[in-house]
Amino acid sequence: MKITSYIKKIFNYSPPFKYQFSLPNDFNKTNLDLPQENLVHSKENRNIFTSLDVNSDYIKSRYNILINSDIITREFILNARGKQYKALLLYIDGMIDSQILNDFVLEPLMMRNRNNMFEGDKNRIISEAVSNNITVRKVKKFDLADYIENCLIPQNNIKQSKSFEEIFSGVNSGNCALFVDTLDIAFDIDIKGFKQRSISKPENEIVIKGPHEAFVENLRTNTSLLRRFSNNENLIIESLEVGKLTKTKCAVCYMQDIANGDLVAEVKYRINNLDIDSLLSSGQLEQLISDNNSLGLPKSISTERPDNAVQHLLEGRIIVLVNGSPYALILPAIMIDFLTSPEDRNLKTIFSNFLRAIRIISAFFALLLPGLYVSITSFHIEILPTELLYSILAARESVPFPVIFEILIMEISFEIIREASLRVPSAIGSTIGIVGALVIGQAAVSAGIVSPILIIIVAITALSSFAIPDYSFSFHLRLFRFLFILLGYMCGFLGIGTGLFVYLSIICDMESFGVSYSLPYSHMENLKNTGIILPPIWKREYRSSYLATKKAKKQEDISMKWKFNK
Amino acid sequence: MRKISSILKKIFIFILIILFITGFSSSYNSLNLDNLAFAVAIGIDKGTSNKLKVTFEFIAPSPSSESGAETSPVLNTVECSSITNGINMMNAYLGKKVNLSHCKLIIFSEELAKNGISDEVYSLINEVQVRPSANIVVSKCNTKYYIENSVPSLESLIPRYYDIFPNTSEYTGYTCNATIGDFFNALVCNSCSPYAILGGINTSDYNSNSSENQISDNSTIKSNESPITGSRVSQNIGLAVFKDDKLAGELNAIETICFLNMRKEVDSFLVSIQNPENPEETNSKIDIYLTPNTTHKITVNLVNGAPYIKIKLEFSGKIYSMSKNSQYLNNNILNSISNSCNNYLETQFSNYLYKTSTIFESDINGLGVYALSKFSTSSKFNDYNWLDNYKNCTFDVEINTVIDSGFLLTQT
Amino acid sequence: MAKHKISTISAIMLTLSIVVSYITSSFPRTFINETKSATLINIVYITILVLFIILIFCNLFKRFPGLDLLDISKFLGGNILKDIIGSFFIMYFTISSSIMLRNFCESLVVIYYPLTNYVFIILMFIFSISLVNRLDFSSTLNVSSIVFPLVLISALLLFCGNLDNFSFKRIYPILGDGFYNTFILGLKNIGAFGGICYLYFLPPMLKEPQKFKKIAVISVIATGLFIFLCVATLLFMFSFFITTDEVMPLFSAARYIEFGTFFQRFESVFLLIWIISFCCFLSITCKFSTNIFNKMFNLSDMKAMSNIFILLIFALSLLPQNYAIANFLETNIYRYLRIAVGFILGITILILANIKKKKVGEKD
Repeated sequence: MKITSYIKKIFNYSPPFKYQFSLPNDFNKTNLDLPQENLVHSKENRNIFTSLDVNSDYIKSRYNILINSDIITREFILNARGKQYKALLLYIDGMIDSQILNDFVLEPLMMRNRNNMFEGDKNRIISEAVSNNITVRKVKKFDLADYIENCLIPQNNIKQSKSFEEIFSGVNSGNCALFVDTLDIAFDIDIKGFKQRSISKPENEIVIKGPHEAFVENLRTNTSLLRRFSNNENLIIESLEVGKLTKTKCAVCYMQDIANGDLVAEVKYRINNLDIDSLLSSGQLEQLISDNNSLGLPKSISTERPDNAVQHLLEGRIIVLVNGSPYALILPAIMIDFLTSPEDRNLKTIFSNFLRAIRIISAFFALLLPGLYVSITSFHIEILPTELLYSILAARESVPFPVIFEILIMEISFEIIREASLRVPSAIGSTIGIVGALVIGQAAVSAGIVSPILIIIVAITALSSFAIPDYSFSFHLRLFRFLFILLGYMCGFLGIGTGLFVYLSIICDMESFGVSYSLPYSHMENLKNTGIILPPIWKREYRSSYLATKKAKKQEDISMKWKFNK
Repeated sequence: MRKISSILKKIFIFILIILFITGFSSSYNSLNLDNLAFAVAIGIDKGTSNKLKVTFEFIAPSPSSESGAETSPVLNTVECSSITNGINMMNAYLGKKVNLSHCKLIIFSEELAKNGISDEVYSLINEVQVRPSANIVVSKCNTKYYIENSVPSLESLIPRYYDIFPNTSEYTGYTCNATIGDFFNALVCNSCSPYAILGGINTSDYNSNSSENQISDNSTIKSNESPITGSRVSQNIGLAVFKDDKLAGELNAIETICFLNMRKEVDSFLVSIQNPENPEETNSKIDIYLTPNTTHKITVNLVNGAPYIKIKLEFSGKIYSMSKNSQYLNNNILNSISNSCNNYLETQFSNYLYKTSTIFESDINGLGVYALSKFSTSSKFNDYNWLDNYKNCTFDVEINTVIDSGFLLTQT
Repeated sequence: MAKHKISTISAIMLTLSIVVSYITSSFPRTFINETKSATLINIVYITILVLFIILIFCNLFKRFPGLDLLDISKFLGGNILKDIIGSFFIMYFTISSSIMLRNFCESLVVIYYPLTNYVFIILMFIFSISLVNRLDFSSTLNVSSIVFPLVLISALLLFCGNLDNFSFKRIYPILGDGFYNTFILGLKNIGAFGGICYLYFLPPMLKEPQKFKKIAVISVIATGLFIFLCVATLLFMFSFFITTDEVMPLFSAARYIEFGTFFQRFESVFLLIWIISFCCFLSITCKFSTNIFNKMFNLSDMKAMSNIFILLIFALSLLPQNYAIANFLETNIYRYLRIAVGFILGITILILANIKKKKVGEKD
């Protein structure tokens, strides 16, 4: 290559490429003004039509069957007394027991069995009595609905209903609905069959008060968990395939009447436009679809708790499930979400706010404490109280290393212990802790390699990083701690100050699916339900307005009607 | 091409880090914890061969002590022409850099203070590391001797003792939390004068020495002349009054109480007044615990060019001493005690005020601030020259004491 | 310029965070030095005056909704005038930030880095803002709205922490150096409201341009209150600023704060906050000058230019030979520059443009 062209290329101007997607952030205009009729259905209670085709269309539009991947309608011909009716079964895949469905619903309805043999709509004679040559016959007129219920479906729990709402709520909770042509009723047949046993306790997101169910590897089970928790037909689960070789199934789940349409489209767009060979876990997918990210901060919450996922779903976020991965991705996520534990919602508000404050403080410690220690001992000694200064001096009396080496040795050896205890088989995991505690806590101090004060600093930092609920967020803090140690060593508070400025700027610049990452703390706007302080449960009237949801309100102004009902 | 530029970027960042580390390393070395020696007190004396004699007190941390309590003070003295020079010589001697950021006590000897200490104070204030809240003490004796004997008797940490002892003024009123920041502030002020804590060593021959003036009142004690004996001989009672930067005189305990009351810096104090029930007997005294009310009223008027200062103070008090047959719920008795207390305090206050104005000619009370409102512009105030006119002051002290009751016993 | 338009509160934060950075400079001291004990009256007087001026501004701007000063000067005198005005403001922004930068760094050298060359400290700032200016403008804006409350808290803490040391009688003699000095010569202090001239370039960036007046008025009042707070702290606390000078006056006030025996001398924490807010100021200034330049020459991408302005600030801040000259520039030249560019130039352009608009309107 010629030198001139090389130089030209170095100094050549190329317009910067920036992928831009942002949600409308006109926060002051609430989406209450949006016309509601474009949502497919309002909550009117419809009765079932007599024509199966009409019913079928209605169900299809109501359940968005074209895009919803786990809603299944099965059309078939029903045999009753030699006559054939068109019929339709509606159920949700993963929530029913298909064995029961096949054996005890479909088979008796479709097969010609003996009971079903005689023809026509002959009236059935229930009893006959002859008096005065007049034969009194108690005749029951043939009623198809009763006939189906009484004779055709060998099921213990079956209900007839005229309204779609009742039927749908049954379907949402795992029943199967049978629509028959010419009937203006439908049957709600209980064939629930969750994979109850394969669902285990969450192991990494432990809460004390809350459900103990976790996602599993099977995609269908996971979607059925979501269905069960949300229990609403507006939940749409779309199926996408990623990976040229593996063709891994992914499910994009969202509430159709809540989640922002642009956001849904963007998520689907990103997932559909991945040119990769294989996708094996949700962690890979997260990296593949999140915006550019120089700090390594997580851009989506990864949870193994269906209740947590559904909570976010109802907030208007989107959940992405990957087949084979027991973790659901919740998009978009902002910084404060990583300092929020699923526990928070189950606790009383004051406690959860207290815990949140503790977590913010611990994030601060995990990031800055060692750096501050280095810079104070190197440049700003006057800030220490005199007694503390003398105890630090006494502790450092026999330590041969400068503070920076001391702290690096300790931090790195601590990281080694943490990594080692993760990698070893769990049976000997506890011994690592003992060895680490002995080496770090006792031997290093008595050998005079490090000072006890520093042990305290490192220990507080480590504990703080454990207090962060999100694992990948605490990873970020662990890594960037070293940057601040370096800055503090270089030029004290000046370095930390400028470093903090750059760090904050980068965080404020970041976006997660069009939502500003630093949101509640940086934007001084009338945001609703921002998460700065968790309000009491009766005051959580609005969905987070930065998500630009279709429905802004999630509960009435007075939610406790029993108390203030007038 | 992108690869090359990213490599260039990495090299650039690396160079930058090296650049910053080298750029800041000299500051790092000079401010690093390991390279510093922290002086907790410095004493400044008049030198014999040179201008000054500076004593530094360091504390050697005891190595790897579990409690960290055992600390032993190390005293080093240097003769020098200025404090900065002294610090420099001390650096060379110690092999560490002397740092004054934890210096809690700055002690000037009486001899030096009489000749003026403005140069020293200015250069100390100019030093970034010196904390403005460091206490300033004028010692009646050799400063080295003073520091040597300032070893706390009830605790082992010397810096903590230095922190705490000036705070006793809030409930005893016998000394004052005089800091070098305040001192400097008053030094450059045109309406007030500086002051410092009076420190001294209780000489063991106190009783024989002062037998001629027979102190009958505990409240007239001051450093060097107090009847306290204990394990530690240094004392900080009373106040050193400066005119400009020169020591003008000393205040004893009761005068310090007056001073603190004028500045509203005392929470409570104790006075012994003549018992009004038997006024003949001079030894019959009542101890009263007084708390100043917030409604202090000080007004300054200019009468014929001379300041006329009207001071109205209010106290509420409780009676400490109890004897047989005293009835401290009787209104008449309380009133007579109040009156007696008022008389006593008025005498003390006016004595004190006239002492500052006529003998010391130094406005340590900052009364000039109250006079500011009488002038429309700063230049007029400067022309008036308050500090010179302070000696012409007339004081009118009015004290109103309300004695509420005794403590637990109400009647005997 | 910004990906999102600036909301009303962010705009107020922006103008405030520019003023807040003056906390590090010597301006509160200059106030006291010049007007002595009448400073507080002077500040109230000036705030009211600036409020009037800003109301006039808003009325003048009313005829040009959504336009900034550059657009208006283009309307008045074509592209040539636009370029001239633009370069004036660029000059003003770069010079002001470089002078402030140099002074701040010199103070830092004195306080914490006695053996470090000030160039390194300047470089530290330059490097950080060059990193930040690669990002979107809204990020700086967001940071400043995070940092501003902290700075405000630090100023309040300065005031409250030093309440013990205050003597409120120091506002007497009420007229300071006399009527003339307070109200006529004291007009110079109008330069402290330097954040105002950033308002000229705000209208096109605003989300709700109709609230421009509200933004302007609130930021003037808040600026006045902030300056009042800082100067009152110094005035009540120290007798010596009337006669003596100290590096970074508010920093020296911070040294006096103590709560009990444990919390003493945490002035470096204040400094940490001020460093961040100063970075915000530098970054905002740099972004504004880049923005003006881009507008002058219709460039689409501002990132390429921003480094050039950062280098310009760096070079300019190295120019003064020593602290004395830098300080002289800050206390004397810079202030007049603020008045000349910020107030006189702006008003003249606006008035002329309004007259022209009226004439054009009559013709139509």
